[in-house]
Amino acid sequence: MSGVARTRGVVLLGVDGHVIGVEAHVSIGVSGFSVVGMADKLVTEARDRCRSAVINTGLEWPGPKITVGLSPAELPKRGPTLDLAIALALLAASGQVPRDDAAALVVVGEVGLDGRVRAVRGALVAALAARAAGATRLVVPAANVEEASLVPDLEVHGVRTLAGLVAFVRGDAPPDMEIDADVEDPPAPADDREVPDLADVRGQYEARQALELAAAGGHHLAMTGLPGVGKTMLAERLPGLLPPLDQQAALEVTAIHSVAGRLGSGGRLITVPPFEAPHHKATDVALVGGGSGVPRIGLVSLAHRGVLFLDEAPEFDASALEVLRQPLESGEIVVTRSAFSVRFPARFHLVLAMNPCPCGRGGGMGGPQSPSCVCTPQQRRRYLSRISGPLLDRVDLRVTLVAPTLADLEFGAHDAESTASVAERVRDARARAARRYADTPWTVNADVPGPVVRRQFGLEGDAVRPLERAIMLGQVSARGADRVVRVAWTVADLAGRDRPTRSDVHAALNHRDGGASWAA
Amino acid sequence: MGGLSDERVARALLSHLAEPGDRRIGGLLRESSAAEVVDMIRTGTTGIEAEERYRVRLATARPEEHLARVDAVGGRLLVPGDLEWPRQLDDLGDAAPWALWVRGTVDLRLTALRSVAVVGARAATRYGERVASQLGSDLASSGWSVVSGGAFGIDKAAHLGALAVQGVTVAVLACGVDVSYPPSNDALFARIAADGLIVSEVPPSAAPHRTRFLVRNRVIAALTRGTVVVEAALRSGSLSTAREAERLGRPVLGIPGTVTSEQSRGVHRAIREGALLVTSAAEVIEAVGGIGVDLAPEPAGRTEPRDALDPLTARVLDAVPVRRAVTLESVARTAGVTPAETAAALGLLELSGFVRHGPDGWALASGAPR
Repeated sequence: MSGVARTRGVVLLGVDGHVIGVEAHVSIGVSGFSVVGMADKLVTEARDRCRSAVINTGLEWPGPKITVGLSPAELPKRGPTLDLAIALALLAASGQVPRDDAAALVVVGEVGLDGRVRAVRGALVAALAARAAGATRLVVPAANVEEASLVPDLEVHGVRTLAGLVAFVRGDAPPDMEIDADVEDPPAPADDREVPDLADVRGQYEARQALELAAAGGHHLAMTGLPGVGKTMLAERLPGLLPPLDQQAALEVTAIHSVAGRLGSGGRLITVPPFEAPHHKATDVALVGGGSGVPRIGLVSLAHRGVLFLDEAPEFDASALEVLRQPLESGEIVVTRSAFSVRFPARFHLVLAMNPCPCGRGGGMGGPQSPSCVCTPQQRRRYLSRISGPLLDRVDLRVTLVAPTLADLEFGAHDAESTASVAERVRDARARAARRYADTPWTVNADVPGPVVRRQFGLEGDAVRPLERAIMLGQVSARGADRVVRVAWTVADLAGRDRPTRSDVHAALNHRDGGASWAA
Repeated sequence: MGGLSDERVARALLSHLAEPGDRRIGGLLRESSAAEVVDMIRTGTTGIEAEERYRVRLATARPEEHLARVDAVGGRLLVPGDLEWPRQLDDLGDAAPWALWVRGTVDLRLTALRSVAVVGARAATRYGERVASQLGSDLASSGWSVVSGGAFGIDKAAHLGALAVQGVTVAVLACGVDVSYPPSNDALFARIAADGLIVSEVPPSAAPHRTRFLVRNRVIAALTRGTVVVEAALRSGSLSTAREAERLGRPVLGIPGTVTSEQSRGVHRAIREGALLVTSAAEVIEAVGGIGVDLAPEPAGRTEPRDALDPLTARVLDAVPVRRAVTLESVARTAGVTPAETAAALGLLELSGFVRHGPDGWALASGAPR
């Protein structure tokens, strides 16, 4: 028996899906199975998985000679998502399912040896790609149906087994094999994350203030403080202060988490800005993505449109911190290979946390050092200088956290504001900034480049004096001046003022250099 | 705003027509706008003797091209009235620059607020270069910007010293900001443009004439809070920077050499005539750090007396305990004002040297006025 048939599948590259034409040719000749079209090992292994699956489903394995062509040929194809499409093309080429019906479908899924269909990563991205390619019907593993159904104007059908797919294409009722098969357990849902409330934080007025400024102005934030003072607790609360993701951002973020296999089967859009806290032992590749073969997505992309929290920041490899500069500048990571390049979105709020010294017990200001600290002044300086100047230059807000006293805990509780009420102020401040930047490429104060800050949004009259004074006293560097001005705008936006006043600049100066003044 | 107003273009044009420091043009600009002055030059009504000289370059004048060229190298044109214009240049009177071409990433006016000129001979000794480089590093580490020319010797050593510690350094050139003169300092200029500032009174691509070096020196002196001469022979041009600083009432400092060194004779004579002998960055800062009254719209002493504080700020200051550090909330409770008011007041108090913030919280600064 011989013949040619085609259908379509999807492969993932970066966070984009690409619809792939899958052709199968069954012919007379020397027995063999070849795949052409830049396929990686996992794709060529599809031969063995498909063969077992077809036979165990009770269908006929065609032959003797089989050629599978994947197009476009120049696109690298990786992963098992093409299994189901290859199996379908083979069955159509050998006349076991109608060719025209197979050709009209886009099919995504991995098959097991017993003919079951396994869930895949990136079903949402696959669905977006299928719709963009003009497809109207998509078949995905049953466990991925809800996720793929987030894409409107696309008919999504889920299958549990290869038998189920064959029945669907033929227009038959689902066979017993399909009905009896379990739907694979989805991975733990990622989006049932409750963002903790700011009202739980007692005391820490300045840090809460810094968090509010960070959220309102889009500023990156660095926190210095002893272990246990609450740095992580505060950072975790930043996503709740940020505005919920809009439709476009939610799709982007959900697609990224789908590709990374971090999306639950709940099939819900991620609308809360993500929070990602990589460990300081994470490698450069784990952080920003890349690696050998087809580039993988990095942890910082999982923080896209959310918060990237680097605890113990000076403990990260210098090279790992260095690679963060690209996404901080451009909002994305580009991994270039000889034949292609992959773009991973990575526009995030950076929150750095560090101890005042390597042993974590240091402190004291002018007065005696904390008795238990064993660090020399040199060690302390070296520890803090591990965060490079160019990286720190992008961090507008610096705050030193101080452990609250018993009195703060006792008497301060009633004025610990909730996330909801702070988020409302943040929303208004962002709206005010967005109006100001209406005809520009920027939306928040932190986006505005230094030269533009100086020329168009400089401090005027009275308001510039505290800054001049701080510079003359050496409390702010010439390079740090733009940061103070940006933060002063955010202070003014939060207060509902049209321009920063003198006291807004005083408030901004409070957040300029937490720690540096005593660390130097 | 950064738009291309007629005045901005006129000042760009003027920087092409007339040589920097021309007091007659400066005098006209006191009464008239730059656009009017350009018109006077065109129509021959400036009333300046031999005014046809200014018209010589009129035929080749392309101010828009110059503006495009400075834009292309990531630079900008500053004119008086811009937020970034260093107002201390007004002290030069009619000889004040009417426009500055600037390349670099930081704000010129704010950078100059805390800056020192480090100048000296091109033909410096190894001793002089070492001292200049160490001085540049030490000044920059203490948050001071270095201002100098673009020559070999002391200028270059001072810039490199500041750059080595990620400091901000400013090169004031006698040629266009996109011209590398001397050409072998090309790499130095690229680094200064990336991390500091390159400043010039003449438009992009203008060549460095001999006279331009001398008039350029008055800008170096006027931008900074004091001038340090590291090495200078008796006839060194860097002494003109020192003389200009003296005229402006800014401190003039000299680094001594051995009495037998030709390259230090100019410095030694300057010291005999009243310049202050200094041997380290700390001594330089001590000499120039106190002043600033002329440069800033507000005196910037290390502290201001308590009774000058407004009542709310004074109340917050009273709430900061004498011996230990406390949280902001604690200060707010003791003072009986809101945390937000406390935050702004503490910001002002820290700026004025009354209080400090450290890992334990807010405390009185040592040596704070009582």
